[in-house]
Amino acid sequence: MSLPANRLRTSLRRPWVARIGVIIALFGVWEVAARWWVDPMFFSPPSQVFASLGALFDTRGVPAALRLTFWELGVAFVLSVGIGLLIGLPLGLAPFARRSFMPIVLLLYGTPQVTILPLFVLYFGIGPASKIAFGVSHGFFPLIIAVVAGVQNIKPIFLISARSMGATRMQVLRHIVFPHMIPSFFSGMRLAMSGVLLGVLLAELYVSTAGIGYFTTLFTQSFDPTRLFGLIAVLAAMAIVLNEVVRRAEIHFSRWHMD
Amino acid sequence: MNDVAIRITGVSHRFGEEGDARGVRALRDASLEVMRGELVCLIGPSGCGKSTLLNIMGGLMTPTAGEVEVLGRRVVAPMPRDIAFVFQENALFPWNTVLDNINLGMVFQGVPRAARDARAQRSLEAVGLADFAQHYPAQLSGGMRQRAALARALSLETGILLMDEPFGALDEQTRMILGEDLSVLLARTDKTIVFVTHSLGEATFLADRVAVFSARPGTIKELIAVDEPHPRKPEFATSAKFTALRNRLYELLHEEIRKTMAETETYADEIGSRTRS
Amino acid sequence: MNAAKQQRQRLGSGAVQTAFLIVLIALWYLATTRWRVSPLLLPNPVAVLADFWDILSTGEFIGDLRVTLTELAAAFAIAACGGLVVGYLVGRSRYRIAVFEPLFAGIYSIPIILFLPLYVLFFGLGPASKIALGASISFFPIALNTIAGFGYVDRLLVVAARSMGASEYQLFRYVLLPAALPVILSGMRIGFTVALLSIIGSETIASLAGLGHRIVHLAEAMEMTRMFAYIVFVVAIAATLNALVSALEARVRSAR
Repeated sequence: MSLPANRLRTSLRRPWVARIGVIIALFGVWEVAARWWVDPMFFSPPSQVFASLGALFDTRGVPAALRLTFWELGVAFVLSVGIGLLIGLPLGLAPFARRSFMPIVLLLYGTPQVTILPLFVLYFGIGPASKIAFGVSHGFFPLIIAVVAGVQNIKPIFLISARSMGATRMQVLRHIVFPHMIPSFFSGMRLAMSGVLLGVLLAELYVSTAGIGYFTTLFTQSFDPTRLFGLIAVLAAMAIVLNEVVRRAEIHFSRWHMD
Repeated sequence: MNDVAIRITGVSHRFGEEGDARGVRALRDASLEVMRGELVCLIGPSGCGKSTLLNIMGGLMTPTAGEVEVLGRRVVAPMPRDIAFVFQENALFPWNTVLDNINLGMVFQGVPRAARDARAQRSLEAVGLADFAQHYPAQLSGGMRQRAALARALSLETGILLMDEPFGALDEQTRMILGEDLSVLLARTDKTIVFVTHSLGEATFLADRVAVFSARPGTIKELIAVDEPHPRKPEFATSAKFTALRNRLYELLHEEIRKTMAETETYADEIGSRTRS
Repeated sequence: MNAAKQQRQRLGSGAVQTAFLIVLIALWYLATTRWRVSPLLLPNPVAVLADFWDILSTGEFIGDLRVTLTELAAAFAIAACGGLVVGYLVGRSRYRIAVFEPLFAGIYSIPIILFLPLYVLFFGLGPASKIALGASISFFPIALNTIAGFGYVDRLLVVAARSMGASEYQLFRYVLLPAALPVILSGMRIGFTVALLSIIGSETIASLAGLGHRIVHLAEAMEMTRMFAYIVFVVAIAATLNALVSALEARVRSAR
């Protein structure tokens, strides 16, 4: 076999190439199914979805809804991080408080919050506040847990060493506890982002007057699969980007890890 | 000068509360005087309390009985201006570079900013890590990490250095080299060093005096003097004098090691018989 | 630290937790009785308890519970079959793992609940859309864990078995399966939990029946007391189911 052909064969065998191949194949099946097998009232081919993206964004209110949802996500995330730190740091630093309250935190984290979604809406209204609140409620738990973990598992030798060099309590907090906690903190942020995405989107899908939930309902009820698919694709892309940003931040700030 | 740098009188230590069945008597009436500028090695079987004694010397622990004086003052807490530690478990902060680690030690001690650069540079050169100042601990080998830890301790410019098996986690060859380097360092400065080790060869090579511990509860059984000036040449390690001293240490320790093993065996037998029945 | 001190610490934190719970319930009670918080915001806890008992004793919950559990069973069954089979097929090949594992992990990382409107458009508001969503979400942890389970079986074990002449079937039954089982079981437990959450969630958003829907219905009718009672009920059911699944997992693991 000639060299270029051989090289082509080897590069085709690379996993990421194959993965793209799989994705293209899936899109292909989707396209074929939508055009020939499934009723176009329920299903739309990717080519059409992609072509109508422009029309989607021209639909009145859609760009604003996307901006609103993005804003809800942002606020919920920042609040989650803030509250998570506010609760997590003291819990992590005070062993008795941690032993007492962490089981409560874990218990609350484990309950199916989706059951109280209607309550959130009753209390916070049908506007952005309930979406943000529900997002925060999903996002701040993993952050508390991560912060507590990051503070709690400091190797005793670091604290002993600092003490032997004459460090004050403030110095220990600032130069040891805080930097040590950072990788855990970013890992918590990654989970918080997932939680916030879940919470805000769940709340949006439940009831929405101006956010994307309004439009998903609209497109569903008016049997407009093209624009519905398109909107969901855009949201999925948004979710992927947000997750990726936090993931990269996590890797960047954990570079010093030795294990 | 023949001042006493560290004076330990009748130090005993017990872990656990009084009357606790699982309490451990770590030290029994240990006494020792360490002179200024000398290197004393503490050697003994596992669990004999040598690390405990080192921690007590440095003010990291308060003994349940006895007194410790450093430079004439009673020790009740760490004395960062007079005593620096190097631990077996590497205590370099992994999120800082080597240079930042050294600087941080000085921040804790209270060295003014203007003086830090020069000190850091000196200590890095002293351990041969001047080219690695910007590296993170994760990027260094075990031996280099311990060198960096030593540099941090040196930059604090304390009169006393307490080292708890600092080369214990390293391979034999690295230990040899670092031991030789430490000897050179000792000759250049007049630091007082107390060095805990398991290794007979290391103790003989490095120490001016070796304090041999008994089995737990530990006390200082005997003090062996090694009359050889620093810096010690590699040839010293193959000389007849070295071998004789090392053999003497072995004789003294052997009995204590056997005792420690017997205790461990009895304990293991007990556990074994309890699980079998 | 000795045993006595540990015991004291545990009692101490336990006491704080109990006190916390009592204070919370006390505040709730006071809020609705003494401090005149509107029953439209916060119902009286005693009334909630009464309604809870009423729901249980009249069997009012049965219809909705049956819908939810059926959806859950169907979704989990589909996800488990799909996940196990796909997981096995992918997990046996280094190459296939490298191709598919990141793909699955990537899809799982976005909130798949987003696809619910698509399923509702296609299947309507009936159970089918919930089952489809539950299965879609639950598939991934099962598949990913099965891949991990089969993919990282100690090569040494496989080589040893083959050298003793094991057939493909024997290799699977006596080496691969036992080695991979703990991870697979763990994946199935996660898959179950996730399926339950997704089903309740999708019932809340778009449904005509089921426990999630019941809560929404009561919320819209502003029947706060009954709604709280159902919330307690659903949380209890979820906790029980999860506990059962965890116990089952532990039982299967120890039976190896």
